[in-house]
Amino acid sequence: MTDMLKTGSKLALICAVAAFCLGAVNTVTEPKIAEFRAAKLKAALEQVSPGGVIGEETEAGDAVVLSYYVVAGVDDVSGYILNLKGSGYAGNLIILASYSPDGKVLGSVLMEDEETPGLGKEAEKDWYMKKYLGFSGKDIPSAKRQLSQSDSDAISGATITFSAVAKALISGSDFVIAKGGM
Amino acid sequence: MLKDFTKGFVKENPVFVLALGLCPALGVTSKVVNALGMGAGVIFVLLGSNIFVSVLKNFIPEKVRIPAYIVIIASFVTIVEMVMEAFVPALFESLGVFVPLIVVNCVILGRAEAFANKNSVKSSILDALGMGIGFTFALLIIAFIREVLGSGTISLIPIGTWDGIVSIPGLSKSPARVFSLAAGALLVMGYLKALFNWAELKKAGAKK
Repeated sequence: MTDMLKTGSKLALICAVAAFCLGAVNTVTEPKIAEFRAAKLKAALEQVSPGGVIGEETEAGDAVVLSYYVVAGVDDVSGYILNLKGSGYAGNLIILASYSPDGKVLGSVLMEDEETPGLGKEAEKDWYMKKYLGFSGKDIPSAKRQLSQSDSDAISGATITFSAVAKALISGSDFVIAKGGM
Repeated sequence: MLKDFTKGFVKENPVFVLALGLCPALGVTSKVVNALGMGAGVIFVLLGSNIFVSVLKNFIPEKVRIPAYIVIIASFVTIVEMVMEAFVPALFESLGVFVPLIVVNCVILGRAEAFANKNSVKSSILDALGMGIGFTFALLIIAFIREVLGSGTISLIPIGTWDGIVSIPGLSKSPARVFSLAAGALLVMGYLKALFNWAELKKAGAKK
């Protein structure tokens, strides 16, 4: 019994020391990482923005639409940028997508994912997201048969990622349509 | 003593001879710069874990030695991960999932179990450096062959305005793309392993 206690407490001690060291490193690296992530978000926002002044982030309180930004045009709303959460092949997908006020997808970037490199991870690239642009609501392609032969070959092996991104974009489109340009 | 350091280069090269750590060796070697980053990460983790395992070899109870080693290794990997994301985010993104996977890189646990827990701190440091350099060297050879043939480029560390990519005229327009894919990694690995075996056999033959 005492032997077991001794073994256990030794292991616990090693873990505690390790945890303390990690905490110390984290205090140094955390602000740097936060800074880098903020810069990445800003660049992505500007990349998808339909043009205009990007407003403050507002919580949406939806299962898919996490938050949104209203993009102000000259005298009305020129579009929305939505922060969407989808469920991919290997974990959550965080997608940043911009919509016109009538719900058309204008731009879309995959911000975070845990998809398979070489297959689902391809969705991080520009050409992948182009397949969704210009569509709204249920017209957003979510299955391979809605694509041309060459496009459907390109996503072959990562069908789940493709429909996961589409599902999130469709919910986003519905959300924007419900807002009705407000 | 010097043998502890140099044995990892060729004679007991972790990838080509011991066949340890093949998963990252095949996974990240599509670009030379990734091999460099992975190599640096592994050297750091291996050095840290070998030192601590060797120092604590009398403290760690025999029964729970594997969990204890894993805690030590995982801590160093997490440190590498945080430092990489904070200071070299581009490299961190291109190495992706392979950084946390250093935890289960069998080179590291293998050296802790086979060497560091039986030898002095000094030998363990030399062993870690030798094995780490041998691993990096193996990754660099694979990555160099794969990138030159598969993409027609050699990507190094970007300095200032130079993006760090050397393209090879003629090859960069129509490379043999299979080498940058997983199948190419296995092909290159197979031929290099054969080369090492052949060299080993020749040496043994010469001795007779």
